[in-house]
Amino acid sequence: MNATPRITPLLRIFLALLTAAWLAAPAARAQLQIQITSGVTNPVPIAVVPFAEAPADGTDVADVVQHDLVGSGRFTELARNKMPATPTNAADVKFADWKAAGSDYVVVGQVTPIAGGQLAVDFNLLNALTGQSITRQRFTGSASALRNAAHRVSDVIYQAITGIRGAFATRIAYVAVVGQGADQRFQLVIADADGYNQHLILESRFPLMSPAWSPDGQWISYVSFENHLSAVYVQRVLTGQRTCVSMRAGINGAPAWSPDSRRLALTLSGDSGHPQIYILDLSNQHLTRITDSPAINTEATWSPDGRYIYFTSDRAGEPQIYRIGATPGSPTQRITFTDEYNAGPHISADGKLLAMVTRDDSGSYRIAVQNLVTGEFKMLTPGRLDQSPSFAPNGATIMYAARPGRGQEGILATISVDGLTGLSLKATQGEVRDPAWGPFIQ
Amino acid sequence: MTESVRDRWLSIGMSVLLHGSLIVLLALGWWHFRQQSVPAPSVPINANVVDARTLKGLGTASTPAPTPKPAPPQAQPPPAIQPEGPPPPTPDELAMREQAAKAEAEHEEQAQRELLARQAAAQAREEARAKAQAAAAQQAEARKAEEAEAAAQAKSQRLAEARKKAAAAKLAAQKKLAQERKLAEEKKLAEQQAAAERAARVAELQQSLQEDERAAAAQAASGALASWQMAVTSRIQNAWIRPPTAQPGIECVLNVSLVPGGSVTGVSIGRCNGDDAVRQSIQTAVYNASPLPPPPNGIPFPRQLIITFKPTH
Repeated sequence: MNATPRITPLLRIFLALLTAAWLAAPAARAQLQIQITSGVTNPVPIAVVPFAEAPADGTDVADVVQHDLVGSGRFTELARNKMPATPTNAADVKFADWKAAGSDYVVVGQVTPIAGGQLAVDFNLLNALTGQSITRQRFTGSASALRNAAHRVSDVIYQAITGIRGAFATRIAYVAVVGQGADQRFQLVIADADGYNQHLILESRFPLMSPAWSPDGQWISYVSFENHLSAVYVQRVLTGQRTCVSMRAGINGAPAWSPDSRRLALTLSGDSGHPQIYILDLSNQHLTRITDSPAINTEATWSPDGRYIYFTSDRAGEPQIYRIGATPGSPTQRITFTDEYNAGPHISADGKLLAMVTRDDSGSYRIAVQNLVTGEFKMLTPGRLDQSPSFAPNGATIMYAARPGRGQEGILATISVDGLTGLSLKATQGEVRDPAWGPFIQ
Repeated sequence: MTESVRDRWLSIGMSVLLHGSLIVLLALGWWHFRQQSVPAPSVPINANVVDARTLKGLGTASTPAPTPKPAPPQAQPPPAIQPEGPPPPTPDELAMREQAAKAEAEHEEQAQRELLARQAAAQAREEARAKAQAAAAQQAEARKAEEAEAAAQAKSQRLAEARKKAAAAKLAAQKKLAQERKLAEEKKLAEQQAAAERAARVAELQQSLQEDERAAAAQAASGALASWQMAVTSRIQNAWIRPPTAQPGIECVLNVSLVPGGSVTGVSIGRCNGDDAVRQSIQTAVYNASPLPPPPNGIPFPRQLIITFKPTH
């Protein structure tokens, strides 16, 4: 007992050392284990430094890139007036400064004229924290394709940091309504995914509806009410050559391309007055009836594997989304049960998400997604009259038509599938509706 | 011892008495023989012989007692001795002479007999004396031997005793030494044991204290460590902008190098089934989490940290 007070101070020192050793040693040898099981969905801070520009058409490549990235909802920019410097190549980048400015990544680049009046866009994506170059590439093209080159830069950066293929250098199709009264015109427009670079591919005095891209990006199908009768057309994008593929009695509507771009799912009512889903083989005009229900069955869309067709039906009273095999006599399965109105289905390229228009309790029509694997349902847009959801080919963003207020013209907007980032597309003249997001451009 | 002294005196006394008697007898014999003109010369020899022998036999004993005793016989002869020549015999005289001769013969015979007897007696005495002396000597010898033996015995006994004693002493000493040694050893052992016990007790105490304190420290440390781990985890999780491709099933191990201040100086990706975006994101997250929160209680930062990114949902 006498020994106790004598040894204690020494013991304490020993124990302190022991504890320190015990703590330090395993950490050093066995090494302390830290397990990270979750993260945040914050946007990634990135600085897109103005590129060294060639005297061209004034396109600010860096600005296009920054707009793309920030518009996706996955990035946040470093404002140019807060940039510590404006290097245009990696050698001039002082990483500590950019890190201090809060940027994880820095993009530098140059636009330089090359032979044949072409331009080369070179860029380098740098990690400001590791000081490493993640990727560097060059795109070449005409001056008029500079925006497209910028979108390609965005695609590369987006994929490098999110792991998802970028869909900035893709195109959309939509219907614009211009003019009033007798001068009213319906236009079928193709544009870049950011709404720029619009090309009118069809203009009509009669309503145009439901444009749809063929998965190979060569064709667009649509419904035209030329001569006051609905008909389904397919039109070659590059040449404008078009073909009427269905002008049957009753309704000819809502064309949807099969994944192999060889068939169209259509809504036909025939004489019965009950619209049904059919599959039209474009190679031989062979028509196969898929649904057989004394109700409205419309707005078909294919599953990415081509085995199923999702469609809207009011067979249960209110419109809901169902799934049926893409062969005659297949059983039908109801997919949506949330809310009383779910319509306008569209399936993401990975087949996991179903986007739709849903009417909430307040009567507002909003874009929602349902996870087909987990069944999780998520409302994405605020409403009030949102329609025609269309997935970007990378499945990360949905484009839709919105009417911000009563009496206001419709616009196009995007929403990230997590619902966090929405963006209105560049204002076009007139009302825009029925957007269709095209496939990746090979 | 006293016994032997007494014996000696007794023997001396007896010897003196014997010698005295012999001398008287000799004197009487000589006187008688002188009267008959019978041999005289041999007498002194006898006496001398006896004396010498006596002296010799007595050794150093020169007691005056024997000398005065022979005096009476010497003083007696003068009345009988006639120093003038012999007268002529008569018948009476002859008869008388004859008678006298007869008587003398008888006397001589008697003297002879007496002498013989004396001699015999002397011899006997001598023999006795010698015998006695021899016996005495023998006795003395025996005694001496005995004594010597006794002495020797005593000596040997003494020696033996001494030896024994010495041995005993030695043994005792040895025993004592051994005992002392044993005691010392026992003491030492006891001390050692005590020390060992004390040490054991101390060790036990130490151990228990250590265990207690270690347990407490470990508990505190593990608690602190756990909270630190949580702090580090939280900091990194908050810094990890998780790319959409970081789905459950993805598992990436980072080896993170730290400097004492907790700043991340290096990140190397080990086993990782994630894509480039995941790799970028986790490296960036760790750098963005730098410096990491300090460990508890002034414990230094580990030099290496293994961080596993394993999204669960």
